Amino acid sequence: MPNDMNKPPSRRGFLDLILALGTFITTVAVAIPGLMYLWPAAKGGGPDKVEVEGASNMAPGQGKTIQVGSQAVVVVRHRGGFKAYSAVCTHLGCLVKWEQSSKSFLCPCHAAVFDENGKVVSGPPPAPLPEFVVKEIGDKVFVSAA
Amino acid sequence: MGLGKSVKQFFDDRFDTKLAAELFTKQAFKRLPPRTGWLHVFGSLSLLLFISQTITGIMLLIYYRPTPEAAHKSIQYITAEVQFGWMYRQIHAWGASVMIMAVIIHMIRTFFMGSYKKPRELTWVTGVILFILTITFGFTGYLLPWNQIAFWATTVGTESANKVPVIGDWLQYFLRGGDAVTGETLSRFFVVHVIILPWALTGVIAVHLFLMRLNNLATLERVDEEVPLKPEHGIPFFPVHVTKEGVVAVLLLAVLVTLAVVYPWEIGEPANPLETPPHIKPEWYFLPSYQLLKYFEGTYGALMGIIGCSVPFVLLLLWPFLDRGKERHPKKRPLAVGFGLFGLLGAMFLGYLGHISETEQTFFGKRYHITLKGWPVPLDDATDEAPPKH
Repeated sequence: MPNDMNKPPSRRGFLDLILALGTFITTVAVAIPGLMYLWPAAKGGGPDKVEVEGASNMAPGQGKTIQVGSQAVVVVRHRGGFKAYSAVCTHLGCLVKWEQSSKSFLCPCHAAVFDENGKVVSGPPPAPLPEFVVKEIGDKVFVSAA
Repeated sequence: MGLGKSVKQFFDDRFDTKLAAELFTKQAFKRLPPRTGWLHVFGSLSLLLFISQTITGIMLLIYYRPTPEAAHKSIQYITAEVQFGWMYRQIHAWGASVMIMAVIIHMIRTFFMGSYKKPRELTWVTGVILFILTITFGFTGYLLPWNQIAFWATTVGTESANKVPVIGDWLQYFLRGGDAVTGETLSRFFVVHVIILPWALTGVIAVHLFLMRLNNLATLERVDEEVPLKPEHGIPFFPVHVTKEGVVAVLLLAVLVTLAVVYPWEIGEPANPLETPPHIKPEWYFLPSYQLLKYFEGTYGALMGIIGCSVPFVLLLLWPFLDRGKERHPKKRPLAVGFGLFGLLGAMFLGYLGHISETEQTFFGKRYHITLKGWPVPLDDATDEAPPKH
């Protein structure tokens, strides 16, 4: 009502407002540190740049699963060099395996197939496998996130 | 004055013990409707299983270690070294499945008898919350042995969380305690499983029981036309119904011990974050959702799948407010009963498809490969295991 709005607040009403605001601020002040405590602390699963051990001994067509940061990555040696893709299936997070015979990545959970470039060939995944950066220095191979 | 009398006097001097005794007597000898029978014991059975899970869970906690390095080993230790450790572990593992089954049967009875209708809508809503809490118990407890199946089932389960619109990535990160399922996830699931859920369940059970006692059990009479129960017509809760519950409790113990001995749960291989085992499947109570998710593909498919899996739970919560008809008798509620049967049979069918998917099955003497989506593909003779006939 416009008339009610024009009335000056009573002392009791003002105190009630202060009390409500105080309760709200105290609740927020207590809740924020609690929520921040529950939020996961940033913690890497390992170094973001990783050397592929035994890379020089891998035959063309052979693949290997390694860990880069907190991610599992499949490194495959092709005739032209090394390529690396995330091993985490973009469907529901299972780890794909490199199938040397069919030159494809196969997800054991829902039978998804990705080609050698990480693109979806069949199955439910909504997106290709993300590619990782590979650097070959001498006979050493390093993999890092793009 | 004897010791008993002294103790009684001590309490009488300090509290209104007469009122407390009256309240207790009223509840203990409360009259239940005449048709209260064996189908009405599944609620108490669920409560009994919760008590059993709490006791066996506390026993397991004495030796269990919630870290990736020690969790699997501690389960092995409980099973192989601790006296009767195998039994408590098996009863706890089987108890989870049996408890979910008891809750589902209890809900089926309540649904088909129309007991959720006015004035018991909130009793039903708290019951659905108890059901959701119970399966969350199953989900969080499944990871604790830290074996391959548990690890990857949790990976798949928590991966589904990031398909939730807008907050999906945050939700998944929060649930896992990081990007992937790690020791942080184990800690979080452990705390939820042994602290948060037991207290949450205890609180909601208290409200559920209070509401149930307040309104008494439903009859098949029409809404707002329930005739107040005459004391001489009802069944006394004690000793008649309590005796039935006692019989069920003894049978339950026999069933749990038999399952524990005859079909023991395997410990499995320790979790390996760098290798996913083939054809992982969730527990039976998640199979319908697991199968349903397979039919939604592509960018928006996952979102549709999450919505599809959430709708049944939302419908269950809102059902008493959607079905506002006066009738309770199942024969007079063909639409609601048909809808319930459709949902129930649909869930069972999806669950069965999920169970047999990616396996080979024989139907009418012919072998089939059941695809991921549950379609049967006939196997040719070359792949048939039966020896060729000459």
